[in-house]
Amino acid sequence: MNSVGNGSTPQKGGYDRVVIPGPNGASRELSRREFEALPLRERVGYLIEGTAQFFVGAAPVPASDAMKG
Amino acid sequence: MSVAVKMMDTTRAATEAIVQRAESRYEAHRQEIFRSADRTFAGLLIGQWVFAILLALVVSPYAWQGKERTVHMHVWVAIVLGGLITSLPVALAWLRPGEAMTRHVIVAAQMCWSALFIHLTGGRIETHFHVFGSLAFLAFYRDWKVLITGLVVVATDHFVRGILWPESVYGIPNPEWWRFLEHASWVIFCVSFLVVSCRKSQKDMRVMAERGAELEALSENHWRQSSAADRAAAEPAARR
Repeated sequence: MNSVGNGSTPQKGGYDRVVIPGPNGASRELSRREFEALPLRERVGYLIEGTAQFFVGAAPVPASDAMKG
Repeated sequence: MSVAVKMMDTTRAATEAIVQRAESRYEAHRQEIFRSADRTFAGLLIGQWVFAILLALVVSPYAWQGKERTVHMHVWVAIVLGGLITSLPVALAWLRPGEAMTRHVIVAAQMCWSALFIHLTGGRIETHFHVFGSLAFLAFYRDWKVLITGLVVVATDHFVRGILWPESVYGIPNPEWWRFLEHASWVIFCVSFLVVSCRKSQKDMRVMAERGAELEALSENHWRQSSAADRAAAEPAARR
């Protein structure tokens, strides 16, 4: 799937923000830079569990597409 | 053990395995670069040795004492000192490739070669460019620490020879005492950029390894979802 960026230009993968599970069942939103700054162990855990939700603008992006860009 | 706890354990184990593989890939990549650079420099050091002997033979083959002709000291310096400078790093590149000690010795030797070439050409300023060319080559290691070794060797050489034998390094008998600082400053200028470049390169290598880990994690997630779907599909059939 090709996601659509903020404008009308189609993008081949990538993401600009992520929502991950936080403490006490709450979720927290991170920018791409913040997500990439997390320890690898933590990022891998979210990806294995499938609990990280990726977005380009307001549009959700499948993790497999998000990781392409 | 509940299903949730079991799931957490398998996730933890899978995460650990993926992270370990990423670390191994990163280390393997670094080792490949170190070993390749070790081999390259072993060849370069030998090539420089041959070149230095030829240079000494061409530039100053003989010394004269009255009518008596002898082989010039420069030829012996190129053969013997050049051999000493070359032998240890080449041996280490052969016997202990990829080790930190090997690359630091290679760097020190390469800088000693710059010093020897400068000496053999009578301190020609143009030969000082060998230092900068060498530093650029040494950045092939993508290890900023070796550049610091290079900087220390060059600065020390210029300082010591500047005091003991200034013609050998600057081509003039009475340079200012701080001349070595001027040369060292330009080397620091060059090394600063190379250090930044090496650090960025290392970071890119780590990002590559981590990207591989993320793709593995996605694959693991996909496999788990497929397995769960298969189990769900098989369940009604099993009940019948």
